[in-house]
Amino acid sequence: MRSPNVVNGLGLGFVGVIVLWLAVNFFKDPTYFLNVGLDGLTRGTVYGVVALGYTLVYGILQLINFAHGDVFALSGLVASTLMLSVLSVTPASSNAAVAGAVVVTLLVTIPLFAVANASIERVAYRPLRNAPRVAPLITAVGMSFIVQNVSLALYGVDYESGSELIPQGVAFRIGDVRFTWKLVIALAIIVPALAVLTWFVESTRQGKAMRAVAQDTEASAMMGINVNRTISTTFVIAGSLAAVAGLVFFLEFQVRYDTGFELGLIAFTAAVLGGIGNLPGAVLGALLIGFIQSFNEGLLWYAPGGDWTRSIVFGILIAVLVFRPEGLLGERTPEGA
Amino acid sequence: MAEDNLVVATKVRKEFGGLVATDDVDFSIPRGAIVSLIGPNGAGKTTFFNQLTGVYQPTSGSILFDGTEVSYLPPHTITKLGIGRTFQNIRLFAQMSAMENVLVGMNCRLHSGILGAILRTPRVKREEAEARDKARELLVYCGLPRRHHERSVSLPYGDQRRLEVARALATEPKLLLLDEPTAGMNPQETAEFTAFVSKVRDEKDVTVLLIEHDMKVVMGVSERITVLEYGAKIAEGTPAEIRADERVIEAYLGRGAGQT
Amino acid sequence: MTSVAERARGFATGSRDKWIAPGVIVLGLLYPWYEDILQSLPLIGDFIPSTESMVVMVAFTMMALGLNIVVGYAGLLDLGYVAFYAVGAYTAGWFASQQFDQVTFSFLSSVPSDQPGIHITMWLVLLLAGFLTLFAGIVIGLPTLRLRGDYLAIVTLGFGEIVPQVVRNGDNFFGFDLTHGTFGIAPIDAAGFPVLASFTSLPKNFQTSPNRAMWFYLGAFALLLITVFCTVRLRDSRLGRAWIAIREDETAAAAMGVPLMRTKTWSYALGAFFGGVAGAYYASFRGGAFPADFFFQFSVFLLCMVILGGMGSVWGVIAGAMILGYLDREGLATIGSKIQDAGLDFDPTKYQFGIYGIIIVTMMLLRPAGLIPERRHRIEMEEGVHDTPFYDVEHEGTLTDRDPSDD
Repeated sequence: MRSPNVVNGLGLGFVGVIVLWLAVNFFKDPTYFLNVGLDGLTRGTVYGVVALGYTLVYGILQLINFAHGDVFALSGLVASTLMLSVLSVTPASSNAAVAGAVVVTLLVTIPLFAVANASIERVAYRPLRNAPRVAPLITAVGMSFIVQNVSLALYGVDYESGSELIPQGVAFRIGDVRFTWKLVIALAIIVPALAVLTWFVESTRQGKAMRAVAQDTEASAMMGINVNRTISTTFVIAGSLAAVAGLVFFLEFQVRYDTGFELGLIAFTAAVLGGIGNLPGAVLGALLIGFIQSFNEGLLWYAPGGDWTRSIVFGILIAVLVFRPEGLLGERTPEGA
Repeated sequence: MAEDNLVVATKVRKEFGGLVATDDVDFSIPRGAIVSLIGPNGAGKTTFFNQLTGVYQPTSGSILFDGTEVSYLPPHTITKLGIGRTFQNIRLFAQMSAMENVLVGMNCRLHSGILGAILRTPRVKREEAEARDKARELLVYCGLPRRHHERSVSLPYGDQRRLEVARALATEPKLLLLDEPTAGMNPQETAEFTAFVSKVRDEKDVTVLLIEHDMKVVMGVSERITVLEYGAKIAEGTPAEIRADERVIEAYLGRGAGQT
Repeated sequence: MTSVAERARGFATGSRDKWIAPGVIVLGLLYPWYEDILQSLPLIGDFIPSTESMVVMVAFTMMALGLNIVVGYAGLLDLGYVAFYAVGAYTAGWFASQQFDQVTFSFLSSVPSDQPGIHITMWLVLLLAGFLTLFAGIVIGLPTLRLRGDYLAIVTLGFGEIVPQVVRNGDNFFGFDLTHGTFGIAPIDAAGFPVLASFTSLPKNFQTSPNRAMWFYLGAFALLLITVFCTVRLRDSRLGRAWIAIREDETAAAAMGVPLMRTKTWSYALGAFFGGVAGAYYASFRGGAFPADFFFQFSVFLLCMVILGGMGSVWGVIAGAMILGYLDREGLATIGSKIQDAGLDFDPTKYQFGIYGIIIVTMMLLRPAGLIPERRHRIEMEEGVHDTPFYDVEHEGTLTDRDPSDD
């Protein structure tokens, strides 16, 4: 029998090494460190939006919706079509035009992917409610492949990127620390989205229903909550979040048919790290992973480098699930009495 | 002279967050006895059972089984040491037959491993054949003479309960834990089961711990009764003593009922 | 009224059905000889796979049977089986190639004994690969198998990603070249019978023999038969019963004395064993172990075979594996060229994994127990098992609060 103290000790020791590594890098060049950190913040916000989609669905269904990352990627690609082909935005367009195009695009992609996501649940997951747990999980994997191949069929293997449409470079400085336009725009789109989400979950009836069903499905049903409709609502929200994240990712980085796979894994790890089912936890976990990725790829003192990012993220996932499955903000749930 | 106690539980405490489910309970079971654990709903009987069988780990306290500390051992190890159980809500392996259910119960008493399984040596073949014979005997002993190869979920309710006992007995226990075994039985089945419990104790050389709500069964078969309320032990004694105990009457019927 | 069990047993022992298995074995064994006849048939001739493809299809079938032990018997969703394939292939790379040219060691090898590197006869290397992969399975299983089903799936996915990444970057482990990085290890010795060749007509080295494909195919077929044999024996053993019990109700199984972690680890390790053997044999056939062969989608490809054929069903998994293996090797390309001949510009091989995804989803919705269902799985799919229900009603399936690593 493994003593819990040894396990905790190992975990803490490992965290200590990481903190030490970060501290050394910071003191070697604080400005550079902060700039890399802000880069991590930029990624982290996008990861956060995707992570929320995973954690919302997991909270209510205990299902890892493998297809979520691929829905996100497809939404980014569709956003690219809307902005570049339909609305004909070019690098030469004015900032106001781009901003307007962003709004119009979101008005299309959000409902589109909200409905698409809810349809996936309706068609592929709901019929399996009585099947062994393995069944919807397997179906989610299959669904992921299907969505990915839809993206492949429509967009081929090309990358779509809107990074030339947004202002380049630095928006403002504090000392030598650079706050890029990418960061500002990401925050400008994502923070309102998160605010809407928070309002919805905290204040509306449907939001409360979601929280109730996530806590105790049977009791909620007995209280008259329409569980099926609540679950559909959750998928609608997750789809909307995916659309927002997809657009931002298109603008800031680049999207391809298989972007969803890696990003999905990163986002899910973030959700687990923060505490699966916990909304602020998903955002916190995503920010942390964003930092970790940036530090890994950007720092100069003994950083493993981009080749190892995926392994590091998986390592974190495995470590969290083994040592602290409730994540940073989650609660260790005792069962029954 | 000290009694020979098969189980000695000392100051067992189980907390779930702020809720105290088991409140410093001292509890012993003499070897070869039939003992019952009763109490109103929510008193913590099944929680205590679960700590005995390793499903829960006590927050503090000790549980000695036949001299061995078991409070931190995993369920399968405790079963191997000699505690077998049934479940309050029947938990048979639904898609396995009655025979297969009992064979799974024997799992920790059989020895064939991977190589033996693949090569099917004479020793393995013999062990399997003997296991099947033993299983058949157990099933008949527990009142299931037929339908050994049907899916267990298709058996009538009473037979399913009997099957659970057969499966528990297949683990060759020293201590048999029965969790509300007569729930859902009609009076005749209940009476038969009560007689069966005594028979099992006498013939199979097991000690029996019973959780029960049916007082006829409890009073009829127990040699000693322990009463829990809100996780704490409030009374312990022979059926006659418990029947007359004021605290017990109050616990079941509410304050004021004690004034008879 | 016969019980389901009696009817099922009757199926296998009915006098007509008794001939199915030997018949299939003979038909399979003779394939290289009548392949040409089949390929000359009108209409379907183009769809008949070559013996080369059959070798790969059979190797994949072995892997699928290994995965079936984990997913079908023990009910654990493993999304990282490709890691076992990789370990097997690289074991062949280490012990039957010029990779470790620091030494010169040869043992009954099919290549000349003066070649640098370690060259052990492939038949022993297969065994070695099996055991090394089994060991890897135990190591991966230790942290993984204590987790709940969905977490288990994603962690196995993680290992299925980490192992290929390690392999890709493994040319510089503190200066030591373990896996030769992105180039992979090649050439890998072919299988052969160097000793028997001196007094029989068996070839010394499959690669150099005029009937290369045929010999590799016969070797693969023999390995497949052994895999099927072991799989069936395991299913019908004490361990097999323990797996079913765990699948149906973990808590009750533990209460009946079934050691959960150990039993799950055995399923993982045994599944890994066959994956390793198949991986090593395939590497020998392919002539190398290349990182590009190992990617996450392959694990899902294998899973699709098990789903299509029928979880837990040996015949089913064989059928599913042969069908999908064929599609992967030849079928999609052949279909693609037919489509293009008909005038449409559509290449199904590009959307291979989308097709597998459609197969998975369709099967799970319409026929979750597979093409050739295994009796118990069909019922479980329809009626559910005693695990945490999908729409989480109660937490009864996860009754315990103890540390699962002790199980």
